[in-house]
Amino acid sequence: MDGESAAKGHEGFLSTKAGRALATNWAAFFLILMLVVFSLTGRNFLSIVNFQNVVHLQTVPFLLAVAETFVIITGGIDLSVGFVMGLVSVGAAKLMQLFLAGGMDPLWAIVLSVLIVLPASLLPGLVNGVVITRFKVPPFIATLGMFGIANGLALKISQGYPMTGLPDKLPDFGNGYILYILPGELLSFFVKPANFPYARIRELARFVPYSFIFIIIVLAVTAFALKRKRFGRYTYAIGGSMDASLRSGIAVDKHLVKVYVLSSFLAGLGGIFNVLQTGIGNYTTFNAQYEFFAIAAVVVGGASLAGGKGRIWSSAVGVLVLAFLENGLALSGVAPFYRYIAVGVLLILAVVIDKFFPDMR
Amino acid sequence: MTNANPAIQGAPRGKALSGFLRKSWVLIFLALETIFFCFRSEGFANLNSLQIVLFYGVLVFLLSVAELFVIITGGIDLSVGYILGLSSIVSIKIIVKLVALGVSTPLALLLGTAATLLIGVLPGLVNGWLVAYLKVPPFIATFSMVGVCHGVSELLINGVYAMGLPKLAADIGNGHFLYVAPGSAPVLFQRPEVERGVSVLEIVPNIVVVTAIVIAVFVFVLSRSRFGRHVYAIGGNMDAAIRAGIPVKRRILGVYATSSFLASLAGIVYAFMYVSGKADAGASLLNDAIAAVVIGGASMFGGSGTVGRTMIGALIIAVLDLGLRMSGTPTFDKYILVGVILILAVIVERYMQEAA
Repeated sequence: MDGESAAKGHEGFLSTKAGRALATNWAAFFLILMLVVFSLTGRNFLSIVNFQNVVHLQTVPFLLAVAETFVIITGGIDLSVGFVMGLVSVGAAKLMQLFLAGGMDPLWAIVLSVLIVLPASLLPGLVNGVVITRFKVPPFIATLGMFGIANGLALKISQGYPMTGLPDKLPDFGNGYILYILPGELLSFFVKPANFPYARIRELARFVPYSFIFIIIVLAVTAFALKRKRFGRYTYAIGGSMDASLRSGIAVDKHLVKVYVLSSFLAGLGGIFNVLQTGIGNYTTFNAQYEFFAIAAVVVGGASLAGGKGRIWSSAVGVLVLAFLENGLALSGVAPFYRYIAVGVLLILAVVIDKFFPDMR
Repeated sequence: MTNANPAIQGAPRGKALSGFLRKSWVLIFLALETIFFCFRSEGFANLNSLQIVLFYGVLVFLLSVAELFVIITGGIDLSVGYILGLSSIVSIKIIVKLVALGVSTPLALLLGTAATLLIGVLPGLVNGWLVAYLKVPPFIATFSMVGVCHGVSELLINGVYAMGLPKLAADIGNGHFLYVAPGSAPVLFQRPEVERGVSVLEIVPNIVVVTAIVIAVFVFVLSRSRFGRHVYAIGGNMDAAIRAGIPVKRRILGVYATSSFLASLAGIVYAFMYVSGKADAGASLLNDAIAAVVIGGASMFGGSGTVGRTMIGALIIAVLDLGLRMSGTPTFDKYILVGVILILAVIVERYMQEAA
């Protein structure tokens, strides 16, 4: 195993530049290794279309992993992100249905619903933060409570069914691409060619989904805030030592509330994106386990559940590792049940390998 | 642990009352909740409702005791729900195989149950090994086990439910301990033949009896045995436990194995109740199990919690569930209310402790 051999030559190898790079970024190296292996074993794995699809479908997991990264660095955990996402998704869908029924223009219905649910998505996080800081409820419990509350509310709004009858413009945003090419015939930017014969839809090549730009902006902004801004410094400080942060004058409670609000805001973005992408309002099911997979991605990215450690880009790599593991195994003809097992094994490996390396970030 | 409160001994009467309130507010809440539903839901104020509450509560009762052991050590077991699912499938597969091999039905049920319980300990042993020996955080170790159990379950059933249990299993799973037909002597287990329209009094579902016995055993294990004392000691102060010479690693292994054993038993009970097995049978029960333990006053940081109070927590959820169903509200409200009660319980518990 990689980790063991590296651990044996601990002192010598790790002090070299290459050693440090491997130690801090093993998930990225693992991702590259995986991509190479699956390119050889997987049918149609190595193609722009496949890569594009995998990353596009990970938009929501990316958002949730970013949310979880902030919370986990403070030493907390947010179990509610998956159901907050579902709640925002059905909430936005409900509003759109109401606006459409009121005779509003579909485009305005979409814009207005988004403008209403986005601020509303701060609320679950605010409640989480206040319950955790003011009432000293452990984050696990507080967010598990919100998990149930958001789940129940989402089911109440949707009555337990996916919510349809939304503006059919929705996927134009969520599934839109920058470039459409029909080889030798047409090339179109941003706009899907109109009156396109449905039978030839497979010939139409699409490049760079909007979701790429969206997610890269989110990752860049949050990574910048975490690495270069006071907000990030406080986040690491609280996770490193709560006592030291208090004594050095950081308003710990206020900052923690902000972190949980940010987390639920990102989950809310995920919910809105979910509606835009699928064109229906989806409540979150129990076995979707979004929150756990987000936490798993963050841990694979090298964060510690004890707090003080973690990076946005590493978490993003963690999301990609889990996604390509599943996609690669599927395209290599491995039956789905082995993929569940593989994720579990990988997660354990991630933690065990991390133990061989000294703490660094 | 939670009852150690010397301040209230020999205190004046007002203090005694507040001490009572402090210790028993969860029980009082359960009583008030039950009374509320007696008025709110038609037909709830009825001894039969109690049996129904217990009948549908058994899975959460078993899982919450499983979770309690782990939480007392300061850990968490996210895999109990999927171990339940896996065991529901494994038990059915084994029993169906045995019956097909010509083993008599009762013997097949017995052997299948025993074999499933043995297999059911394995996920817990792996969890415990990861947590105790490899120092993997419990959250990660047991979440990985979720994936493994889910995968193995799907592998076994290939996308359909596990089915084909003999009718006797359903009779046991949905039968009662005692039947009283009007005008004749009470009968054990066997439902007496009566004319149409004559109602037979059914007393205590079988699975409730089994669950009660098992839980009684674990009450003993936790409160009277050396293993139980060690579990509290580990959760209370790990360093002190190590210095006191407690074999901490072996005990943690034992705790996760216990948790897995109880979850596995719950899986068998599920199979007998619903005569089918599926991978995500227990997926939605995990939160209820954790909530029951926390409402029952256990701390997530370990060292406290009792089976009795956990049962009260589980009953609060079970009564809520049936009460809401019988009052015609969709079950969605249950998720919201359990979430609210969960958070409030921790806040109230803290307030009560500080007021002491």
